[in-house]
Amino acid sequence: MTDKTPLSAALRSATERSLTPDEARAYLESPVSDDERSDALALIHWFQQRYPTPLERLRYVRSAHARWRGP
Amino acid sequence: MRGGEFDEVEFFRAIQDSGARALLIGRRALVVLGLPVLTADYDFWIGIDDIPVFNAACGAFELRPGVEPIDARRRGRYVLQNDEHVDVLVARSVPTIDGQAVEFEDVWNRRMPVALASGIDVQIPSIEDLILTKRFAARPRDLEDVRLLRILQSEQGRDDR
Repeated sequence: MTDKTPLSAALRSATERSLTPDEARAYLESPVSDDERSDALALIHWFQQRYPTPLERLRYVRSAHARWRGP
Repeated sequence: MRGGEFDEVEFFRAIQDSGARALLIGRRALVVLGLPVLTADYDFWIGIDDIPVFNAACGAFELRPGVEPIDARRRGRYVLQNDEHVDVLVARSVPTIDGQAVEFEDVWNRRMPVALASGIDVQIPSIEDLILTKRFAARPRDLEDVRLLRILQSEQGRDDR
């Protein structure tokens, strides 16, 4: 299913564009805050414990994407 | 072949058995490492001489290339697809957004084999090289992924100490 509404096109354009070198540098050089690190690690630990093997992780992503895409 | 029928283990086995130098990159490589990100596609970076064997391996899953190998080499990338979508990067060297040249041979030599199932390994770049590949297109989500990879890398470094 492909959503071709103007809003989705605008969102896709915003998220799929390549940033300029200066934009990328500014983003990458901004430090990771304690909250960002803590939130990311909580998600990573949940994922790794729920799906301990690489194969389980890949299967989860396939099923999650299928659910997200819908029938 | 419908998406629901796609056997991912056999897909990776076929690629391994083909002998193609094929690195899984993109978000599926992050998933293998244990990062919870969503993706629809498979992304590979393969050796420039390995297009025919890689395509033959994928052909067993009814994945068809959109272009001939000579055109794929000229463009530096191509797509194999049916209900699945496989993006293939096929360049000896790719620049990052800020002009750093990343050589396939170097990344291949530093690769990490990850066991998927008995006798089946998937080859992924080192975390440092995966970060470089995320700076090829440098879309906002790629840079989000770089931050996640750096957090994972720092956590692994902490565990190793």
